Amino acid sequence: MATLSVANLTKSFGSTKVLREIDLDVGDGEFVVLLGPSGCGKSTLLNIIAGLETVDEGDVRIDGHIVNNVEPKDRNIAMVFQSYALYPAMTVRENILFGLKQRRASKSQMSESLERFSKMLQVDHLLDRKPAQLSGGQRQRVAMGRALVREPHIFLFDEPLSNLDAKLRVEMRQEIRKLHDRLGTTMIYVTHDQVEAMSLATRIAVMNEGIIQQIGTPLEIYDTPNCVFVADFVGAPSINLVGGKLHNGDDGWSFVADHHEEGVRVPLGGYVFTTAPEAGHGIILGIRPEHISVQKHSEQAQPFELEPTLVELTGYDQNVTFDFFGSEIVGRMPRTTKVEVGRPMPLFLDINEASLFDRATGKRI
Amino acid sequence: MTAADLGRLGALERSTALKRTLLRWLLFLVLGVFALYYLAPMYVMVVTSLKSMAEIRQGNLLTLPAEINFEAWWIAWNGRGYEAGDVFLRPYFWNSVKMVVPAVIASTFLGALNGYALTKWRFKGDNVVFLLFLFGCFIPYQAILLPMARTLGVLGISNSVNGLILVHTVYGLSFTTLFFRNFFVSVPNEIVKAARIDGAGFFKIFFKVLLPISGPIIVVTVIWQFTNIWNDFLFGSSFSFGDSAPVQVALNNMVLTSTSVKQYNVDMAAAFIAGLPTLLVYILAGKYFIRGLTAGSVKG
Repeated sequence: MATLSVANLTKSFGSTKVLREIDLDVGDGEFVVLLGPSGCGKSTLLNIIAGLETVDEGDVRIDGHIVNNVEPKDRNIAMVFQSYALYPAMTVRENILFGLKQRRASKSQMSESLERFSKMLQVDHLLDRKPAQLSGGQRQRVAMGRALVREPHIFLFDEPLSNLDAKLRVEMRQEIRKLHDRLGTTMIYVTHDQVEAMSLATRIAVMNEGIIQQIGTPLEIYDTPNCVFVADFVGAPSINLVGGKLHNGDDGWSFVADHHEEGVRVPLGGYVFTTAPEAGHGIILGIRPEHISVQKHSEQAQPFELEPTLVELTGYDQNVTFDFFGSEIVGRMPRTTKVEVGRPMPLFLDINEASLFDRATGKRI
Repeated sequence: MTAADLGRLGALERSTALKRTLLRWLLFLVLGVFALYYLAPMYVMVVTSLKSMAEIRQGNLLTLPAEINFEAWWIAWNGRGYEAGDVFLRPYFWNSVKMVVPAVIASTFLGALNGYALTKWRFKGDNVVFLLFLFGCFIPYQAILLPMARTLGVLGISNSVNGLILVHTVYGLSFTTLFFRNFFVSVPNEIVKAARIDGAGFFKIFFKVLLPISGPIIVVTVIWQFTNIWNDFLFGSSFSFGDSAPVQVALNNMVLTSTSVKQYNVDMAAAFIAGLPTLLVYILAGKYFIRGLTAGSVKG
């Protein structure tokens, strides 16, 4: 059990700033996911927490103690890597016990831990095999077993599922979740996969270009993204972003799309502004595909006639691309909804659920 | 498809099959010719070494010996038993063994350690250090003769097997470092990170995690170093003389300094003996050599 706190952390490689003034507090037993595109600094941050990279400026604290200069092995952490990083020359048993051996654990403790965790991860029948003789999923389990036996206070995961095929990825994702539920250990998990982040995290920190853009529960991140980047990065299919202006009329605030100066305005009746709105201000309207539907879900939902230009079946759902006054927007609806390309259909835009961003700064307004 | 199309395909099928067979035979023919070309000198050496001098004087290089006679091999190895001026290989052969084994082990081990440090424990200026090692590969033997002679003199190990061990270890270090560095680059860094978190230190990781998977590259390095050091003549003749000379120097002395009639059969036998160890190393470890040269990344 442990807390982690990163304060004002800066890291450069040569002249490239990889991390800029990162602040992150992880409470005991939390599952925090660092989410971001490749090159955003999330793996570097994890390596710094692990002690595998040095800190340029700022502090890393574990349980309140500054560990900037503490060796990885003394930080009471364990890490699972994307490439599994098993020791190729050792058997599964030796791999799992290597860490305990370095710590001169007693024989009885070793066999006890081995038994317990190899059973838990269902690798107890593989103990005498070499990593090369294991499948990807089995390797991942062994890698987790190796991390688990040491009973660390903080678990670090560096994109552990990226090398697995889609089906196995879902399975292992669920197992990691169950593991967290069972052990209650603090976990920090790096991924670029927003579905993993959503399904695993108690809190998500979305990173881009070396800064944490937003940190919050999965629902906060999904429903009220604080900037265009977060809105766009989280969610599949992506959020629809339409550029336009704010308009203040008799009926209150509304949105005017770029390509349709005089045309249809989208009234923003139910929208809760975070800053005082300003008429004529350039903004971006963000609306998620599932908030475009044929049914009227709320009082404020706005009716439109839109023309479908493309229909993509995804299984249970279908993603339909519409022409929205010159720009394209995608709606997600059950496949039972009748859609015909080229024939305009009545739709409702659930403005309550939309997000508005300042066009210049990209910040939520 | 029309009938004409089908006919054309049929003809193509037959002609390509024929072409393939012909090309195969041509390939084997060319390979066979080259094999003969390379093996011919060895054949002449073996045949000549088994002949008596009288038979050699009759002049046909390629004929098989009338009777097989190992006397020349015996003389090359043990000498004729003269009091003075009798040069034979046995003591020098063991000099070479005493030189090669420690030098190969030391240079391979240090090269492995260098390669490991240069790839897995990056430090400021490590690329410059590696560049200098690379540069070392291109320094010709002749260029280091004088400085090395001075160094050996200062260390007090000139004209000794130990001196030659040092020379070969130092000279070989550039190559062994290069080999191991290129091999360890293909080993994922994450393995080392995992071991660090598990609590293993610099040497523990080297011995327990990386060396056990370095088999192929160790074989390559050992073969390379063994061949170079065993076959070296320049360092041997420059830094040693008399009793401490390695076998290649002794071979030279034996063949070139005899004042009497040239004993071609003894010369051939001696040359063969001097070349035998490298031949053996290749036969025993050859398949690992190719495997090691082409070794890719290690799957963890």
